[in-house]
Amino acid sequence: MSPLSAIPAYSPGSLPQVNALTNRDLSQLPASAPVTSGTPVGGDVFSSMLGQMVSEVNAKQQVSGQMVNALQSGQNVPLHQAVISMEEASVSFQLLVQVRNKLLESYQEVMRMQI
Amino acid sequence: MIQILTGIQNTSAALDAEHTRLDVISQNIANAHTTHDLNGQPYQRRVVVFESVLKNAMDGGSDQGNLPTLQVARVEKDTRPAMHVYDPGNPEADARGMVALPNINIHEEMADLISASRTFEANLAVVKNARTMAMQTLSIAKH
Repeated sequence: MSPLSAIPAYSPGSLPQVNALTNRDLSQLPASAPVTSGTPVGGDVFSSMLGQMVSEVNAKQQVSGQMVNALQSGQNVPLHQAVISMEEASVSFQLLVQVRNKLLESYQEVMRMQI
Repeated sequence: MIQILTGIQNTSAALDAEHTRLDVISQNIANAHTTHDLNGQPYQRRVVVFESVLKNAMDGGSDQGNLPTLQVARVEKDTRPAMHVYDPGNPEADARGMVALPNINIHEEMADLISASRTFEANLAVVKNARTMAMQTLSIAKH
C-alpha cells in the first residue's frame, strides 16, 4: 500500500513536487526491473500487495466485530466508535471489491484478445 | 494501514471528548441539588478541559500524522462559591437555617448541553461526509 498511502502527501499547485513523488514511487516498485530478465518479479509483488490489502480489510472487519460485540455485551465502548469502525470496515471492503472487479475485468479483456 | 476515511482519527477523538463533556454535564444536572457529597460539602460543578495532543504518526512522519488532535486533559471543579438558600426545614440546614446548594445554574448547564450536542452533531456530519466522499470516489470504478 505504500504508493497509495504516499498520495495524500502531495500539495496541489506544486507540479515539480508531484513529479518527484511519482518518480520516487515508481522507482520504489520492483516491477520496474527490466522485463527481458524473464523472471516474473512483478507478479509476486503485486499478489503480496493484494494479500496485504485483504488481510488489512479482514483486520478492520474483525475490529468492528469486536467493538460491536463489546457494545452489545454492555462494556464501556462509545457508540460512535463502534459505528465508525463498522463504516470503515464497510468502505474498505467496498474498495477491495472494486479492486477485484477491475482485476477480473482486465483479465477477461486479455483472455478475449485476438491472437 | 489503509486510511480509507480521511481525517477520521481527529473526528473520532473530538467525538470522544464531546462524549465526555456530555457525561460531565449530565452529572452536573443530576447533582444540581446534592447538598452532601463524599466530603460532606455541597457538590461542586465539574468542568471539562480539552487539550491538543500530537498523536505519534503511524506511517513514519507524514504531514497528516503530525496534526494535533484533541483529548480531555482533565475534569476540574468549578471554584465558584456554593449558593446559600434559607430553608430551615432541610436536614442539612445550619443554625441560621441556611442550606448550601451546589454552585450549579441549571440554565447554564442546559446551554452547555446544547453546545456540546451541537458540536457532537457537527463531528458526526464530518464522519458522514468522509464516508460519502469515499463512496463517491469508489464509484469512479463502476460503470
